[in-house]
Amino acid sequence: MSLRINPDPAPDLLAAIAANRKERNTALQEISTGRNVNQISDNPAATAEVVLNHIQSSQDNQYLRNISDLQAQGQSIDATLNSTVQAVTQAISLGIEGANGTLSDADRQAVAEQLIGIRNQVLSLANQTYQGNFVFSGTATSTQPFVLDPTQPNGVKYNGNTNTNSIAISQGNSIPINVPGSQIFTNPAGDVLGSLNGIITALQNNSGIVAANANLQQAFTQLTTQRVFYGNSLQQLQATQTFLNSEKIQLAQQENTLVGVDLASSITNLQQSTIATNAILSAAGQILSTLNLLSFLK
Amino acid sequence: MGGLYGSLGIALGALAADRGAIEITSNNIANVNTPGYSREQVSLSENSPVQIGGLLFGTGVTLGQTTSIRDNLLERRLDQENQSAAQLNAFLGPLNQVQTLFNEAGGTGLQSSITAFFNSLIQLSDNPSDPAFRQGVVTAGQNLASAFRQDSANLQALQSNTDLSVQQSVNQINEITAQIASLNVQISGLVSVGKDPGAFLDQRTQLVRQLSGLVAVSETDAGNGSLTITTSGGAALVVAGHSFALSTQINGSTTFHDVYSQGSDITSSVTGGALGGEIQVRDQEIPSILNKLDTLAYNLAISVNTQSKAGFDANGNPGVNFFVAPASVTGASSSFTVAITDPNLVAASSDGTVGSNGNAQALAKLQNQNIVNGQTPANFYSGLIFQIGNDISQAQSEQTAVGLVQQQLQDQRSAISGVSLDEEAVSLIRFQGAYQAAANVVSVVNHLLDTTLAITTT
Repeated sequence: MSLRINPDPAPDLLAAIAANRKERNTALQEISTGRNVNQISDNPAATAEVVLNHIQSSQDNQYLRNISDLQAQGQSIDATLNSTVQAVTQAISLGIEGANGTLSDADRQAVAEQLIGIRNQVLSLANQTYQGNFVFSGTATSTQPFVLDPTQPNGVKYNGNTNTNSIAISQGNSIPINVPGSQIFTNPAGDVLGSLNGIITALQNNSGIVAANANLQQAFTQLTTQRVFYGNSLQQLQATQTFLNSEKIQLAQQENTLVGVDLASSITNLQQSTIATNAILSAAGQILSTLNLLSFLK
Repeated sequence: MGGLYGSLGIALGALAADRGAIEITSNNIANVNTPGYSREQVSLSENSPVQIGGLLFGTGVTLGQTTSIRDNLLERRLDQENQSAAQLNAFLGPLNQVQTLFNEAGGTGLQSSITAFFNSLIQLSDNPSDPAFRQGVVTAGQNLASAFRQDSANLQALQSNTDLSVQQSVNQINEITAQIASLNVQISGLVSVGKDPGAFLDQRTQLVRQLSGLVAVSETDAGNGSLTITTSGGAALVVAGHSFALSTQINGSTTFHDVYSQGSDITSSVTGGALGGEIQVRDQEIPSILNKLDTLAYNLAISVNTQSKAGFDANGNPGVNFFVAPASVTGASSSFTVAITDPNLVAASSDGTVGSNGNAQALAKLQNQNIVNGQTPANFYSGLIFQIGNDISQAQSEQTAVGLVQQQLQDQRSAISGVSLDEEAVSLIRFQGAYQAAANVVSVVNHLLDTTLAITTT
């Protein structure tokens, strides 16, 4: 007796059609989404990596937004300090002019008046705000840092604090973002506002002008030294911005490697599965409609 | 015996046998598409000869018992694969829904809420006195809490739905086992009188196949045609003509239904079939995912709260809990809530001044610290995603493999038990020819008898 074969090919044909349709749908989904991982189970390890990739990428975007804000703030502060430097430079010139022994009292008073204007300008710059916050009051950003106070030895009272803020600009990398105003404008190593008050008083009293000029020069040196901090910060921000943009590109490339579709491969799969589906449908049509012996009974 | 009447008797016997064979063939053709039908084979046997004088004369043909062609071993293998396939289907159904909840492949899962929360803290550290940034932290926290609660609620809803499926499966099992017990009685009755219970066997085989799709069973042939069926864990389902119904009772601690057999809780020993898959999803897979979600929620809440209380709010007061402190890991995700509504209560400051961002920085840094079972929140969550994806992927691979085995076994079964219309056509032609020949014999014998009678009457 010959080996009996399966007389009902329908289940196998249906299974083959279903398998081909599944392959075709997979290829179509890959092409339409541009991804070969469209649900977690498609590639669990790759999806887990993508989760970390997305978190890193999202953090980088936030760091970049912070850097952009910090750059705007830093440039504003740098411009303020630049104006301060120019004002103090002008004050130094006026101080030297006031030290000229040929000047009359009235001339010295006139110079002193000009210096008062400059002092007030510097005071205003020292009380500069950015987005409503005082930028030179340490972390007490809602408090005006500097007020004239004759009871103080240097004629200025600092109401801010000496605390500083740091901010994360990339993962594991924080930079200090401010210098307390007392360190810039009333630093004992070079007191800008105090020395301006000093030269004004010296000119008004015609006493100690040379020493006051020396103090002003020292304050200028101190001011330019402190300004370097913001210049450095801006450079660091720029460098980190470049790094983060580069990292974002790398992360995007990594994601593409993990879950991106190989378009040529997917299109080939689509064509192959389409051909296979058509072939199996054609075969099924022929096989299932084949006559059997009963068809020939008369 | 002998003579013309003997010939007439032989021809009549042949007519009856061929008519019966044609009936069996017709029945096979009629059931060509009946699921579970096993083709029947005609059994013709030669009658015992008689001795007349010194000679032996044949006495014709008898139609014997029909035989259903089936391979019992193959049927058992099909049952086993059916158990595996049904279990995997029941397992994958709910888990595919879990997969859409954690749609990290599409970037819309919990990850985006966790990252948005920590990003809001990074943003706040840029300008801690900005009310909009403060509000941003509260809003991002509320979104995160909502995402946790939503995921937890969806998982619990899936668990409840699966529990409903457990009850439905148990009811179906009871219906099927009652029918099998009834068939046992009919089959053993026929076997005891030597008749072929083929049609009933087919029905019972189909019912056992359905039963194995609901729960893993062990089958024992009781010897008299009846089948003894127990769960793979040994709980009796059918013994001879008796079926033993399973029941469900609510478990007070889980609030889900446990499965009982004659007063004993057999939930943990139920394997295979839809019921096994449903219990696996309800009692193992979803609780495992929920536990990880709870662990993540609990540790995030505790760590953020601890750091919040180390800082100061916008009014210079010591920080308070940002999230409502969870009582325990269990249920932490379902009760995840932001404790504050006033953005000024966000403890961004480390020195009590509104412009200090020290604590906002420290809060933001939590995302890169090992605060969840020795891992960062991102790594822990990524591990959870891998677990879900891997469990589904493995089950899908098994499902494909089981499907192929099922298909091969089904092909084998069909090759043995399936009806071939070509074969049946051949049988039909053969029995038609034999019937016509026997009818011709009757005609000839009748003619001879007429001739003989004419001789005697003349």
